[in-house]
Amino acid sequence: MRSGVDHLRKGWDKAGWYSKAMNQMRRSIRRTSIGILAGGLASPALAFTIGPWNLGLLFGIALGGIYAASLRPASRAYADNLMAGAALSIPLWSLISVVALPIFAGQAPAWSAEGIRAHFPALMGWVLYGAIFGVINQGMSDWATTLWGPEAEPSTATPAPITRIVILGGGFAGMKTAQCLEELLKSDISMHITLVSETNALLFTPMLAEVAGSSLEPSHISAPLRSSLRRTEFVRARTAGIDLEKRFVLLEGITPGAALAESREIPYDQLVLALGAVPNYPGMPKVEELAFNFKSLIDAIRIRNHVIEMFERADREPDAARRVPLLTFVVAGGGFAGVELAGALNDFAHGILADYPHLRRDEVRVVLVHAHDRILPELSESLGHYARTKMEERGVEFRLNARLTDARPGIIVLNEGEIRSETLVWTAGTTPSPIIKALNVEKDKHGAVKVNAYLAISSQACVWALGDCAAVTDAKSGKPCPPTAQFALREAVTLASNVAAHLAGRPMKTFHFDSLGALCVIGHQTACAELTVPFARTRAVRFSGLLAWLMWRGIYLSKLPGLERKIRVLFDWIVELFFPRDIVQTIDLK
Amino acid sequence: MQQKESVVAQTPPSPRIWGWIEPCAAVFMGAFAAALGRAQLGATPARSVIFGALFGLFFWWGCSKRADSPGAGLVWGLGFSALMWLLIPAGTVRLLNGTQHSIMLSDARARFPALVGHLILLGMPLGITLGIFGAVRSPGPKQTFHWGRAIVVGGLAGTLSGLVFSRWMYEGRFYPLLAGIPEVSSRSEMAAFHFLVALLIGASFGLLFQTGVRGLGSSMGWGLGFGIFWWFFGPLTLFPLLSGNGIDWSADKGTALFGSLIGHIIYGLILGVIYAGIDRAWVRLFIQSDPLNRQPEGPGVHILQSLGWGALAGLVGGVAASPVLLATGVLPRVAGLGSGFPGVTGLIIHLATSAVIGMTYGLLFRNEGSSLSAGVPWGCVFGLIWWYLGPMTMVPLIFTGEADWRANAASALLPLLIGQLFYGAVTATIFLLLERRYQGWLLLDPRNSAREQLRMRPVGTPAPALWFFALCLGMLLPILLG
Repeated sequence: MRSGVDHLRKGWDKAGWYSKAMNQMRRSIRRTSIGILAGGLASPALAFTIGPWNLGLLFGIALGGIYAASLRPASRAYADNLMAGAALSIPLWSLISVVALPIFAGQAPAWSAEGIRAHFPALMGWVLYGAIFGVINQGMSDWATTLWGPEAEPSTATPAPITRIVILGGGFAGMKTAQCLEELLKSDISMHITLVSETNALLFTPMLAEVAGSSLEPSHISAPLRSSLRRTEFVRARTAGIDLEKRFVLLEGITPGAALAESREIPYDQLVLALGAVPNYPGMPKVEELAFNFKSLIDAIRIRNHVIEMFERADREPDAARRVPLLTFVVAGGGFAGVELAGALNDFAHGILADYPHLRRDEVRVVLVHAHDRILPELSESLGHYARTKMEERGVEFRLNARLTDARPGIIVLNEGEIRSETLVWTAGTTPSPIIKALNVEKDKHGAVKVNAYLAISSQACVWALGDCAAVTDAKSGKPCPPTAQFALREAVTLASNVAAHLAGRPMKTFHFDSLGALCVIGHQTACAELTVPFARTRAVRFSGLLAWLMWRGIYLSKLPGLERKIRVLFDWIVELFFPRDIVQTIDLK
Repeated sequence: MQQKESVVAQTPPSPRIWGWIEPCAAVFMGAFAAALGRAQLGATPARSVIFGALFGLFFWWGCSKRADSPGAGLVWGLGFSALMWLLIPAGTVRLLNGTQHSIMLSDARARFPALVGHLILLGMPLGITLGIFGAVRSPGPKQTFHWGRAIVVGGLAGTLSGLVFSRWMYEGRFYPLLAGIPEVSSRSEMAAFHFLVALLIGASFGLLFQTGVRGLGSSMGWGLGFGIFWWFFGPLTLFPLLSGNGIDWSADKGTALFGSLIGHIIYGLILGVIYAGIDRAWVRLFIQSDPLNRQPEGPGVHILQSLGWGALAGLVGGVAASPVLLATGVLPRVAGLGSGFPGVTGLIIHLATSAVIGMTYGLLFRNEGSSLSAGVPWGCVFGLIWWYLGPMTMVPLIFTGEADWRANAASALLPLLIGQLFYGAVTATIFLLLERRYQGWLLLDPRNSAREQLRMRPVGTPAPALWFFALCLGMLLPILLG
């Protein structure tokens, strides 16, 4: 037992906590003692005016102690304390003499003007008490300073942190974990949090399709990580490797050619893996080479610029046959990302036709290729059908049960034929980050790290994982959790709580979360929504059309991090109602 | 530059001379003023002179180091003289004389002329004089004073605040700032004079308090105090003198001019908020918006945090005040919504109103209180401000189209004032706790520590004197004159 206390004290000492707490206690005892004494000396003024003398004495002493404890003493501030004491005595008079004392005496308070006026003598007593107390308290405080020296000042030196928490990944999972840890650890300087991310902003992926479709400005859907986090150290770098034995993370610079110079090792005591996923092109190197990814902000900017470029080239192209691949846009994958992107591109491409008078409406094609017989498998069959019907009405073509096998410049090869197109966007599959692949830990068939119910890696102490790079199983239902932002955010809350609990030696929580539902925009003012009924998680309510679209916008606008971003996006949406979409080409970073 | 430095170095005279001049001036001025107003102070000439000299000496001893500008000196002088009146003629002397508790109030009312005398003859001149001495003598770095900004911003704020009364001026021929002046036949002359006085008060506010006010909230507090002071100085003293009528400092005259007092308070509050608003807007639009001056959190973040914390603090304040108000059956009136919302509906409306009012506290008073002993008085001043603005003015205006500013109406609303003070104190306490919790994070970054320290009101400003003056007279006058 004793060794445990010694250990705790040593730990505290190392962080400066023990001496800080002792200083705080000494200050409080000194101030309170002086306040009690000064309150006792000033209390006759109360005893004389507010009824039983012992009650006045008691109030005088107690209030003196409380006031002095809350006061930050200043040297020779007699006038300040005289006035402050007298000023505070007025609300105390109204609270204690007018309201509290009659209630405690079993009478109704003097809740009338005349009743209040009857307490006027007590007001004199209170003001006298406050003024005298203020002066005596200051005098005794100065005297104490002369006798015992000034109060121990709070230490300004920042002791070295004793626990280093490193979070890898700045997506929803990583960012939320850092935020929750900040909440839980508050101003505990013994803990140091580091967040490592390849980008310096959190990308709000649900609105990414609108960036590609030129509805939103790119930077408006990204929240800077540095500004969003208060006490977390942010490091923009690429994770090059993790040494689980020696407990450090190897980072390399983002700048091409400067990798070696920027390499550094970051030691950790607790490691959180939130590295997310990367696009996966199984056995299709040509597709990987030619297709656009749709994961990052730069991907969305590139897609938008490319679409505009295709229109510019098509507008100059007199041969109708050669215009076909330029004006055909293929999206591979019929999940949320693919459907939303196809819908956004369809609206964008048809909307900007007005600026290209040489092009006809029937020349523009947006084709969605999907390997199964229905799109949006995450939603119910009826909503999937609705989405397909609506999108077809708006001009989107579907190639269902079709598998993309290869690609050549201007040609996209399917298992059932070819499509002439210069544009292919890949949303059909992802795989966990390559760093995860290199880790010597247990993984599932997709390559995601297996974690236990507490989101910790069982075989590695103090290593945790969540989000798209982790295979998380719901502790209640036993079902695998889908790799969505909704689940990643909840996993982050549980994980942060468990890290804090683990460090404090408290019991940890298992992860359980029932999906709230899903929303998907399929075109202009049209969406599908399937929301779980609260308290009856097995049942769901389905919406579609304008109502679902309004819900989508309302919900995701509220989820977008930061008020500033919310305002900017709202303005973008309002502008879009009155003005055509922007076709200015920006710099292509590819 | 060298020339400037030499001028600055030569300006302050020898401290030894000042060490004698200041107390002598304070004693002489106190004695002279007390002798002048011996009738109002209710003492023999000899006693008046001795009392005035002692008053001057004690004021110099206690407050001269704090009175480092005429404005600061005025606030300290007013606070000190109000305290002295309450403690000596109206309080301690009566208590020691064995005056019956039941007649102490009427006795204090009878000594109302002495209160005016303390404020106008002792507190004001002594405070301003020592403030001028302090401004000349004070060594060390001081906030830069801009004469032009003080007069222009103050005058503009004063004139705009004067517009608030335009409706009553034209419809009811009610000129609250001109009470005590015999009305002339021409309405336009009265209106012009009204705006002249408003301009004068506004410009003097700017000149006196430019360096004292920090935010909108403290500026409202200063406006509240200045409004009360101007009521004593203008309608009760200066205007009767100018119009050739004798000065009447009796409580009956005070009761008759009570509507003007509320007018002065409302005017002062609006003046304070407009003055600080123009001043802050200038800083925000042209200084803080400069990327070179950019802070980690922009003004938008600050405003949002203040609104959120204020709403939460106000809600807790409303909940804390509810039992007292429920027990006394005045809950719906606390929200200022009449008696048409009984039961749970009244409670919900009260809590919603509390949260909204709490948001205004967050916006106005952030960074004013660095500890409970500073935060709670600001909260009480906020409660007092809302009593004058809400139940006394806005609520009757909204529901009946007229505001009743008579002493009797204020007297009837006194119980609400108790509730407002309690609400303000709790709201300020919770807000301070939320603010501290956030600063715990913020101060982990050493870059933020100095900035946060700068934002906080330091020790030595006239804020404590203002708290006492505003709370004491803001509460006492309805009790005495009602």
